[in-house]
Amino acid sequence: MDITKIRHDFPVLSENGIYFDNACQSLRPQSVINAVTEYYQEYSACAGRSNHHLAAKVTQKCDEARTRIAKFLHAKRKEEIVFTRNTTEGINLVANTLNLKEGDVVLTSDKEHNSNLIPWQILHRKSGIIHRIVRSRDDNTFDMDAYKQALESGVKLVSLGMTSNLDGVTIPAAEIIKLAHQDGAVVLLDAAQAIPHQVIDVRKLDVDFLAFSGHKMLGPSGTGVLYGKYELLEKLSPFLVGGDTVSSSTYDSCEFLPPPEKFEAGLQDYAGIIGLGEAVSYLERIGFAQIQKQEYALNSYITEELQKIPNLVILGPSDPKERSGIISFYISGKDHHQIALMLDASTKIMVRSGQHCVHSWFADRKIPGSVRASVYFYNTLEEAELFVKELHKVLSIL
Amino acid sequence: MFCILAFIALSIISIFSASHRWLAKEAFDCVFRRITLRPCTTGFKEKMKAQLVGTLLSRSAIAARIVNRHFELLSWILFITTVASIFWTGKGLYNYYMYGSCNGLNKTGFCALDPKGENNKVSQTGGSCVDGAGDESKVTLTSVDLSLFPTVDKGVKDSVVFIGCYSCDYTRKAYPLIQKLISENQVNYTFAHYPIKEEMLYLLPIGYCAYNQDQNKYWRLNDKLFASSKEDIAKKEFVENILGNLGYDVSAINSCSQSPQTQAAVVAQRIELEKTNIYGTPLVFVNGKGLVGPKPYRVYERILKGFRFW
Repeated sequence: MDITKIRHDFPVLSENGIYFDNACQSLRPQSVINAVTEYYQEYSACAGRSNHHLAAKVTQKCDEARTRIAKFLHAKRKEEIVFTRNTTEGINLVANTLNLKEGDVVLTSDKEHNSNLIPWQILHRKSGIIHRIVRSRDDNTFDMDAYKQALESGVKLVSLGMTSNLDGVTIPAAEIIKLAHQDGAVVLLDAAQAIPHQVIDVRKLDVDFLAFSGHKMLGPSGTGVLYGKYELLEKLSPFLVGGDTVSSSTYDSCEFLPPPEKFEAGLQDYAGIIGLGEAVSYLERIGFAQIQKQEYALNSYITEELQKIPNLVILGPSDPKERSGIISFYISGKDHHQIALMLDASTKIMVRSGQHCVHSWFADRKIPGSVRASVYFYNTLEEAELFVKELHKVLSIL
Repeated sequence: MFCILAFIALSIISIFSASHRWLAKEAFDCVFRRITLRPCTTGFKEKMKAQLVGTLLSRSAIAARIVNRHFELLSWILFITTVASIFWTGKGLYNYYMYGSCNGLNKTGFCALDPKGENNKVSQTGGSCVDGAGDESKVTLTSVDLSLFPTVDKGVKDSVVFIGCYSCDYTRKAYPLIQKLISENQVNYTFAHYPIKEEMLYLLPIGYCAYNQDQNKYWRLNDKLFASSKEDIAKKEFVENILGNLGYDVSAINSCSQSPQTQAAVVAQRIELEKTNIYGTPLVFVNGKGLVGPKPYRVYERILKGFRFW
């Protein structure tokens, strides 16, 4: 992989410092930007509604994007791909249409993003579902024994983050799904942090639902996908309803379209969808083997250097191989926000600080927050070295 | 303390920079919370501190460390400095408006609004044109007999006394303003010639005699002398020509000028003027208040009218 060449594809990288906040949002290659721009410049019309030639082009482009994404996920058919605004919307869609009733158990882990926590808390209040949490092991990896034990009590839905945005730890999804299915539970995976870094084969995983966002995988912000097995999507009641979700309507009834249309209410973000399709193509061109190799190299170096700093605690397992591109750490007595702000102010090194939308985990552990450096394939070893060097400088004055 | 300081600074910057307005808003929120006895939970101080220290860090680790360690103390120092600076700026603006100098009535020293000190420059009694350097607090009309000098007495309570020298730049600058002042307002007006340069001394007896010969023509003579070039009025023939054109009896004035009585009167005038503690021209007294150097017109008018000015 020629990183210098790759970096030229990302206009933001040319003069904006060191971007280590990829877990929040990745940067976009020029090809994605072009795809979005092209839509607005050349064929900014509706898809699926009008019959003129521009509309036909938009319909075709969106269909191509859907097909490309279905192939990317190894889905059985393109109709299993529902376009959403982001992962949060995908999870909310499932939460609100799966017909969960009072007493139904939803199982999550103890380090879920708020997107995969709050919907269940709301359903608990509204419908009386039971929300159970599987606690992680001490090193923040998934506790399979605790999970098996939790399944025994009868679970309707297992909803888990595939890769944690907190520490980068990926759960053993295949085994989790297999066990859940054995107990008759449906599985929803939050793949927001997983999809940019690894091959996901939904058929091999046999996952029922999988939600992810475009903005973490080089795609435009405001785009996302909910994958669902077609037969399950068919059973779901509509979520957001309105234009383009029905084939016909009278004053007191309507006929819903089949999936995915019945979930895609109103005019869609066509530019975003087309851009997302292009992002998928870009990722495929790079290849996940190369992506993981680079992430591992960077994470290994940073981890090794950070482990030399006294009192610095890296969240998650010490082995960088288990933490994808994420290095989340805190130092007792040092303010995480101060560290992040000073890195930015001194050398334009952009990292995230805070609780990363996993407030529940931090509250439980009574940790104020962490600094999260998240690398991607376009980051370089030189950047990692500078990050470590500047971090030392910052810590020396704090 | 930092929030208050930041709010003041950012509010000023925000007038010119839209990108700083959200920071000013954040600072205000912090200040508001403090005023209402609530803790500042916005993290504004920490954020700004990190940005400042971080920026410093890229230049000097030592400086960054010092600022980081003594941030609160530095904030206090800057706060006090800012408050003092705002106070002095306000005072300076007030003084400039009221007296034409940021430093106060007749005070010299640097003023950003009058960087060259034009409003305080005088022709010194020694003869050179420089910033006023005498004791401006001592200029006075107390015990000065103004009846010895040319006066237009309108029988009103307001008075303007203009002491100046025909060939001095700053007197020449102030003269039209004083003329405007006395033409637009009912005032008793007195003019006293106080020559700074030796070559102008000959005008003292001439002026004295011209006034005694014809008071109305004297004021026109004054206008002509100030309107003419300094080089011309240094020549007696030129002045005699003006006198002649104004209808004066030039030979009578010449013989009057040489009379011992005139010489004594001129000396008496000089003695009276010295009682004002004059150290440079122009020196203008508006209702007794002495103004050294050419001031903006509003200053003369404001002092003359007092509350009526507003």
